[in-house]
Amino acid sequence: MNSIEEILWKYIDGNCSPEEQKIVSTLIAEDESYRLKYLELVVLSNDLSEMELDEPSMAFTYNVMEGIRAEHALVPLKARVNKRIIMGIALFFSITLFTLLLFVLLTIKLPAHILPANSSLNFKIPDINSGKEKMVVQGFIFFDVVLGLYLLDGFLRRKADSGRA
Amino acid sequence: MASSESYRMQSKLSDIELIQQTLAGNQAAYADLVKRHQRFVFTLAMRFSKVREDAEEIAQDCFIKAYRSLSSFQGQSKFSTWLYSIVYTTAMTFLRKKRVDTDSIDDENTYVQIENQVSAYDVNNAENRSRSFYLDQAIAQLLPDDAAIITLFYKGEQSLEEIAKTMNMETNTVKVKLFRARQRLREKLEKNLKHETKDLI
Repeated sequence: MNSIEEILWKYIDGNCSPEEQKIVSTLIAEDESYRLKYLELVVLSNDLSEMELDEPSMAFTYNVMEGIRAEHALVPLKARVNKRIIMGIALFFSITLFTLLLFVLLTIKLPAHILPANSSLNFKIPDINSGKEKMVVQGFIFFDVVLGLYLLDGFLRRKADSGRA
Repeated sequence: MASSESYRMQSKLSDIELIQQTLAGNQAAYADLVKRHQRFVFTLAMRFSKVREDAEEIAQDCFIKAYRSLSSFQGQSKFSTWLYSIVYTTAMTFLRKKRVDTDSIDDENTYVQIENQVSAYDVNNAENRSRSFYLDQAIAQLLPDDAAIITLFYKGEQSLEEIAKTMNMETNTVKVKLFRARQRLREKLEKNLKHETKDLI
């Protein structure tokens, strides 16, 4: 029974080879059971082909386009600005600054009398050996080290988070 | 006048041309693409959710997803095949999310309720009902996969190979599934008609 149906569906769907097609069409013409089953399946197949599609609501297209617009609006400005423009601006300023610096360095001529001859040797390093000052300096360095470690920790955490995401 | 003319011109464009226009920044072209495919996408979503509101949500979600990844559409397959594969995965995810109990979505019992709902929908007389009514009723009682395969094959202009691509299956599996789906559809039709004739007597 099943095999009859299987063959007939193959025939109706047009998946038979020419030889098979010949065999099935003679079977339908000569065998009553094949013919009845064939007619039944053809009717179903036609009904399925003529089946009406469902219609979504009138506002469907509008809702889709609104959804797309809303999603576009949600994108932060940072992601929407073309990176090449940012790079261009950066390049422009770095070239300008570099040229300016080069120009200044090449054109500047310090007159010799501005700098006193032995001025560099006359500097006196502040004395930090006395108890109070030593403590202040050590405290200052300690605070700097803690701050540095704290910032480094924050930086590494952020890096690890973005790596996981 | 001018806008209706441009619309008529756009509707003549192929899917690929509309996609190119969309990618060039013309959102109206995408609206045309949505209009062209919305009925089928909605129908396909209905085959899974069986409820209009949910189907509409799935279908909208699909078109937004398709828009988002439109640039990754390579044009190796038909746009419809690509779009329907998005519908299939979105609808399957939706069903999985919706399934609160541990019953499998392939469990026939899940759809018993819908069967009753449809037969409780007896507004018009049995005589007035058309064949398409019985067909729609029987399709609504099928499992999502069966209903989707039948819809794709008969209404989606998709070959067995394309359906296989959409559903991420082997072509032979689709062939067997289509055969079984049609068998089950006939069983449902027969059962429903038997019920009806009993009611008439």
